[in-house]
Amino acid sequence: MTDEPILLVNGISKSFGGVKAVEGVSLSVKKGSITGLIGPNGSGKSTLFNLISGAEKKNPGGSIEFDGKQIDALPPHKRSELGMGRTFQTPRLFPGMTVLENTMVAPRGQKGERPFVAPLRRRWEGQEVELAKKAKEQMTRLEIDKLYGKLTSEISGGQMKLAQLSNALMEDPKMLLLDEPTAGVAPRLAQDIFQSITNERHERGTTFFIIEHRLEVLFKHVDTVFVMHQGRIIMEDKPEAIVKDKRLAEAYLGI
Amino acid sequence: MFFGLGGVVGATVAADLLPLFSGAAVGNICDISSRLSRESIALAYPAISVSVWVIALAFAMLAGGIMGLVASYPALRVKEEWFLSMILLVGGETFRIVVTNTPEIGCGFNGLDGITTPFYWLSNYLPSGPLQAEVPTGLYAAVIVLLAIGCFVFAQKICNSPYGRLLKSVRDDKVAAEALAKDVSRVRKQIMVIGSIMAGLAGALYVYYIGVATPEDYIPALTFGIWVMMILGGYANNRGLLLGAFVITMLDRGSLVSGIALESYFPTLNSNLIVYGRYMVEAVILLLLLVFRRKGLLPETRVKTKAYTLFDFGKKNAKPSSQPAEVPPKGDATTG
Ligand SMILES: Nc1ncnc2c1ncn2[C@@H]1O[C@H](COP(=O)(O)OP(=O)(O)OP(=O)(O)O)[C@@H](O)[C@H]1O
Ligand SMILES: [Mg+2]
Repeated sequence: MTDEPILLVNGISKSFGGVKAVEGVSLSVKKGSITGLIGPNGSGKSTLFNLISGAEKKNPGGSIEFDGKQIDALPPHKRSELGMGRTFQTPRLFPGMTVLENTMVAPRGQKGERPFVAPLRRRWEGQEVELAKKAKEQMTRLEIDKLYGKLTSEISGGQMKLAQLSNALMEDPKMLLLDEPTAGVAPRLAQDIFQSITNERHERGTTFFIIEHRLEVLFKHVDTVFVMHQGRIIMEDKPEAIVKDKRLAEAYLGI
Repeated sequence: MFFGLGGVVGATVAADLLPLFSGAAVGNICDISSRLSRESIALAYPAISVSVWVIALAFAMLAGGIMGLVASYPALRVKEEWFLSMILLVGGETFRIVVTNTPEIGCGFNGLDGITTPFYWLSNYLPSGPLQAEVPTGLYAAVIVLLAIGCFVFAQKICNSPYGRLLKSVRDDKVAAEALAKDVSRVRKQIMVIGSIMAGLAGALYVYYIGVATPEDYIPALTFGIWVMMILGGYANNRGLLLGAFVITMLDRGSLVSGIALESYFPTLNSNLIVYGRYMVEAVILLLLLVFRRKGLLPETRVKTKAYTLFDFGKKNAKPSSQPAEVPPKGDATTG
């Protein structure tokens, strides 16, 4: 981890009609860190991620900088191209496809993804086999390789979370936004997921920005935690300091 | 809309180029005299006849593609495929009304006729009799079938490739696809253009077959008919589309032929009931499908690339193989 930020958010907001889901949030995430984002239900965490990834449009004003580039005007796929991956709180997998095929959607610049190359099987089949192998290695790392032939509709919620993580990791992103990666996952597996995340960070230097309700697991693995409450960031500190702070309990108890 | 456009563009190109290539005066292509001169040129010059046909098809495809690109902009803004259908329906009707009332486009209301099949000249070499008309038309019909097979194979190959996977992902979850750096708008534009190129081609082929491009042929019932074909067979399945097209076309032609035949036996019978009754039948089929089987008769097909066969996909409870590369590929899964 360096002190250099990979993500710089400055004064962004989002309202849905009268609801101010995110209000003037500023924060920075350090390159190579595992950073947590916690807060009670409805405090605006997912919305903040949507603004960063571009899935939702922020209100005018404020700015988002990723890896030294201003990204707030870019459409979501461009942000992803720059190396910002993400997963969703409710897993979003492609139906009617196997887990492996889902992961096979992820690689960029596939030759066979161009409409006039696609009919020429010989031109892309080699690459397809390579990518399938890579996808399988990826799944093995996340210990979901037994699922590759299953349709996404046949797997459990926790497995969906992992499949989603596998999709997002395929392209070696610089930063990953994970929205509750362990929700619906058995406690032992939750530990494993965080272990995989930590390994991934060490091996590839990926930055992780994670929303998580399982504080006990999260706190063991993160460097820094942001606490969100009613659309605002109310605290930023190391996990050891955060647990001691009584504002945390107050936020969660809705005071 | 694209079908009609292809028809009008194809006919206009043919009507302009035939005299031009043969050295005759182009004149007003809507005149009866120019129609006759088109026919005699088509009869006298085989090479010109065929090459003009090819050029006309190319222009029709180009026009269809450009129109498809233009139409993809409003199409990108709608979320549901039903709204897209509405855009196309309205676009088609607008096109028809504009053509009907603009003499400069495809001779307006009267249409542009005297478009003979590219093999019309064959009748010079045939004994007089019904064969003179039937051989060129039959040959042309065979060419159309070949082109249709070509389009089908192309569509199948596209579907069973990474592009097919991309199309499904973009259709099923735009947000998730974008999060994986897929340019959803671009993919939608591409596929819209490919589809409308094919429709433009079909329109020009049709005009060459029936010999006239007239706005009457581009009534909303045409769009509905195609719609019924799609839903009937199953719109996420190329074979389903083929099945739907076959059933509806049979219904269409069958009702026409049987209507006329019945009327000749029973002069009191009004053949219109049978000939136009097909629209009612189509409407009933559409309603029944929408209520009971929105996805059509055949189910959506899986994308069959190596990723499908390589690790024993598609099989229930497939056992993971530790050395995937050693699993022998199960042959080419492409169909068509
Ligand atoms: N698309 C939307 N339309 C309207 N309101 C929304 C929308 N998305 C979120 N909100 C509202 O914005 C607020 C913040 O929601 P958000 O999902 O960001 O919270 P969260 O912190 O992720 O909560 P949780 O822990 O339950 O996931 C809530 O009041 C929610 O009802
Ligand atoms: Mg949330």
